[in-house]
Amino acid sequence: MDGKFAKISPFQVDPDKIPQNIHLNDDDFLAAGEDEKASMVEKHKSVSYWKDAWRRFRKNTVSMAALFIFIVCLLFAFLGPKLIPYSYGDQYRSAQKLAPFEYSDDEKTAMSVAGSCDGFYATALQPGSRTAIKKGDYYVQSGGKTYAFSLKKAVEKSILILKADEEPALFVVKEKDIKDGQYDKDKIQALDCTDTPAEGASEIKLVKSVFPHVFGTDSAGRDIMARTMYGARVSILIGIVAALIVLVIGSIYGAISGLAGGAVDFVMMRIVELIYSIPEVLIVLLLQVVLKDPLQKWFDSGTSAFASAMSDLGSGIVSIFITFALLYWVTMARIVRGQVLQLKEQEYVTAATALGASNGRIIRRHLLPNCVGALVITTCLQIPSAIFLESFLSFLGLGVSAPMASLGSMCSDALETISLYPYRLVFPGVILTIIVLTLNLVGDGLRDALDPRLKK
Amino acid sequence: MTGYILKRIAVAILTLLLIMTITFLLMNAIPGSPFLTEKSTPEMIAKANAKYGLDKPLYIQLWNYIKSYLKGDLGTSLKMQEGTPVSTIIFHQGKFELSLKLGLYALLLAVTLGIPLGCIAAYNRGTWIDGFLRVITTVGVAIPTFVLATLLLVTFAVKLQWLPTISGSLTTWKAFIMPVISLSFYYLCYVAKLTRTSMLDAINQDYIRTARAKGVKTRSVILKHALRNSLIPVITYLGPVMAGIITGSFVVESTFSIPGLGKYFVQSVLNRDYPIIMATTVVLSALVIIMNLVVDIAYKIVDPRISLTSKEV
Amino acid sequence: MSMEENRKLLEVKDLKVSFFTPAGEVKAVDGISYSLGYNEVMGIVGESGSGKSVEAYSIIGLLQSPGRVTGGSILFEGENVLEYDAEKMRQFRGNKASMIFQNPMTCLNPVYTIGDQLMEALTCHDKTISKTQARARAIQMLELVGINNAVKRVDQYPHEFSGGMRQRAMIAMALICEPKLLIADEPTTALDVTIQAQILELMKDLQKKENTSIIFITHNLGVVAEICDRVSVMYAGRIVEQGLVQDIFYRPQHPYTKGLIASTPRLDEEDQERLVPIEGTPIDLLNPPSGCNFGPRCKNCMKICLREKPPYAQVGEGHISACWLHFMNRGSREAADTGKENTANE
Repeated sequence: MDGKFAKISPFQVDPDKIPQNIHLNDDDFLAAGEDEKASMVEKHKSVSYWKDAWRRFRKNTVSMAALFIFIVCLLFAFLGPKLIPYSYGDQYRSAQKLAPFEYSDDEKTAMSVAGSCDGFYATALQPGSRTAIKKGDYYVQSGGKTYAFSLKKAVEKSILILKADEEPALFVVKEKDIKDGQYDKDKIQALDCTDTPAEGASEIKLVKSVFPHVFGTDSAGRDIMARTMYGARVSILIGIVAALIVLVIGSIYGAISGLAGGAVDFVMMRIVELIYSIPEVLIVLLLQVVLKDPLQKWFDSGTSAFASAMSDLGSGIVSIFITFALLYWVTMARIVRGQVLQLKEQEYVTAATALGASNGRIIRRHLLPNCVGALVITTCLQIPSAIFLESFLSFLGLGVSAPMASLGSMCSDALETISLYPYRLVFPGVILTIIVLTLNLVGDGLRDALDPRLKK
Repeated sequence: MTGYILKRIAVAILTLLLIMTITFLLMNAIPGSPFLTEKSTPEMIAKANAKYGLDKPLYIQLWNYIKSYLKGDLGTSLKMQEGTPVSTIIFHQGKFELSLKLGLYALLLAVTLGIPLGCIAAYNRGTWIDGFLRVITTVGVAIPTFVLATLLLVTFAVKLQWLPTISGSLTTWKAFIMPVISLSFYYLCYVAKLTRTSMLDAINQDYIRTARAKGVKTRSVILKHALRNSLIPVITYLGPVMAGIITGSFVVESTFSIPGLGKYFVQSVLNRDYPIIMATTVVLSALVIIMNLVVDIAYKIVDPRISLTSKEV
Repeated sequence: MSMEENRKLLEVKDLKVSFFTPAGEVKAVDGISYSLGYNEVMGIVGESGSGKSVEAYSIIGLLQSPGRVTGGSILFEGENVLEYDAEKMRQFRGNKASMIFQNPMTCLNPVYTIGDQLMEALTCHDKTISKTQARARAIQMLELVGINNAVKRVDQYPHEFSGGMRQRAMIAMALICEPKLLIADEPTTALDVTIQAQILELMKDLQKKENTSIIFITHNLGVVAEICDRVSVMYAGRIVEQGLVQDIFYRPQHPYTKGLIASTPRLDEEDQERLVPIEGTPIDLLNPPSGCNFGPRCKNCMKICLREKPPYAQVGEGHISACWLHFMNRGSREAADTGKENTANE
């Protein structure tokens, strides 16, 4: 048997011959130095988990683009309202039902008369404009300055214009003096201004004409862009807070259940299964109606900072948070429990237990840091689902209530006039879709970057 | 198998009881009374309460609900269609039928289109087909149902006038198109994405390599070995799909003016018509629970590792 | 020695396989050659990443993208399998050459019965066979690999089998078409030691009974000694030493093989020598050095080792080794026609 296969020539190339193209030097068969050897080996730097994950995330163009667009959405929602002169609740009677980028007739008049101005107030120039200003003391505020004046005579069919840098700063032009968008300089009625309003003076709110209604206005004369910004802010905030609520409750519950094991785990998981099998939206709808009044009462009676902060959010939003806290943590709890069970078997947990570490310490120091990847991914993907639920409830008229804006309620408002003004639905709808889309993509990218199973 | 199903039915009944209790407590916590109108006096309200047994302690009211439900009696409407038996309202006025039809068609569309699309994408991974499907499905799971429904409505009913604006009782096939598409699109895209992922996952499994090493044809490797394994996560997702379709039906029914159960549920909550709230919740929950049961049995058929006779439910 | 024994079943010539990753081309197999006779068991030994599995996958066309054969040929009974089209390759796989894998726990499809999967291997090569025949053959194969109560076992699912039983079933599946070549990719690595021994015993048995040639891929030298006739030692995509099993074990020539043997515990040695680990880590195949791949880890590394790849030297009958050390004393005069004196000789 021995040597049976030795006859099979192992090679086609002749052994023992140094190929001709190899040129030998005199010192070739001397031992190589350690440094020479070391220079041949590629230096492998060890990278931390997060650095490595970030490097992989950065390489993912789609997720990076999504992250960029999401940041643009964040700026739009949180910085945008500071850049435009309109607010989500302001109703401009002269500016109802405007198309995107359209100016109201009064704005057009004011602009043609004064070019750029810092604000104007039109009295009944057009149908829907405001009525005359009676005689008395008034003040207007613009750019942090106060302009107080006193009217000896009522002003009607005129336009009150503020040009902060000019002298006079505040003047009135009568409709009849405007011809072809020009006015006679001699006929303007300048108002003497002081910076301290007289006692009992009332404020006149100027219309800031210089800024177009980029997304148009709704039937009540509210700027759709301002409302969309505000709605996006509400949506993003709800998404993030709800996801955090789910994260906290879910991971505590899941970690306890997984760590405790045995009967405790069994009971806790049966509870999860029961909650899981409830079609939650039916309950959520009921909850929304149920929570509205008690929450309002709590806001009204509450004096604590917490209650007043909650009351700023409104009962609709707070009840959405409560809903999430009650029903939506089960998936997270299951994931965390799974992770914990997996990690519980690992040696370092056994080691920690053997060293006498308390359960709380094991959770904090050993388990949570190790399932952080799964937690980040699940939380990130929870945000869009919270945004979906909020917009769904608001669409049905149960979530965020007027005058607050929500992307869902804006869509539902737009539904009534959808055939005439489809853009009223398109703007909030598209922003909502973009937010959810980019968050989904960022979540996918995070999963690819954080999931060690895909690590090469 | 039979034992397992019986056990599951018992659990389902328990779950329904739990849902009834929660619903009962919640609807009684809604402030105000169903009989409160501008003209009603306290005496009238008290009289009406007495008539419908709403003056009794809560636990007795709940017990009465459970008793009559066990007898198959769903009670009578308090307000919306006063005096009419709830079962008549739900089952004989076409409401349940409409919602069920809509939901089943949407589910069918999501499954019969979503799974093949996911397979096609996985099979053509990295090509333009895959890229195109990925874009569609990624956007699809980001569009809220109501936005899609309204956009479809504007485009095909208002602008192009190909389809009716009001779908009503879904008597023509044209009336079905938009509601079913808007209801199922999200789930269609989700199922396609899920199938693609799990298909790719399955393709990378060792047993696929074994099958290839045996000399099994590529088509057979995909359709026999990979598909069946990749269907397992898709099947588990069908339970949540059913629940989600019911949720979506609230929106779709009101957008397309379909007098279904979803729309009626929202109205009954706003009107505080207790027996109707209760009955709709129970009927819709039962639908979801039955779906979950069907899914679990299908799961067992596809995956022999899941033993239905084991202690784990 | 008959002619039959000298004929070659498989001849691999200068095979090159690369993986085209986004980071660049990884030369997983960089020009290996060997041949395999009928009835022969050849071991391929090497650490993980040395390209031993990749080499085996290319024989039966299981290379997955981004891997690609970039050069060389694989002759199976004189036919170059690399030139087969997809359909011909499929008919070749499982029928003439089949493969078993490392992890029997994941290599069987969990949703089909063992019998289904065995019968499939048969029916996808022989359309004429009836279901009853296929089933009978499957049961027969299961009995052959030592599964008791095969008639009942054939209808069970993989999860009802233990790890060792699954590997037996895998072997049955691989041999059901009576292939001439069986490639075993670390078939015992995932198993308990006692089960390992049983499976090895079984493979040795079956090899004799069925007259199959085996390529046995492993990183475990003990397993090689147990079952193989000849051994190829692979390092970073190249065969560094090849020879009969006893030569490799008792007269290793290449520093890597020596290191490998020194780092393996042996129970049969009287003097309990210390195990000597091989220092350093394998090279980065993305940027392989121009010289010997083992150079940077080698204790005997010379200057030329870092510059040029070593050629093969005949170090015994049927025993070759690729190391510059062998050329130190022999010099290169016979080969190099420059006639230049090799002053490195001591």
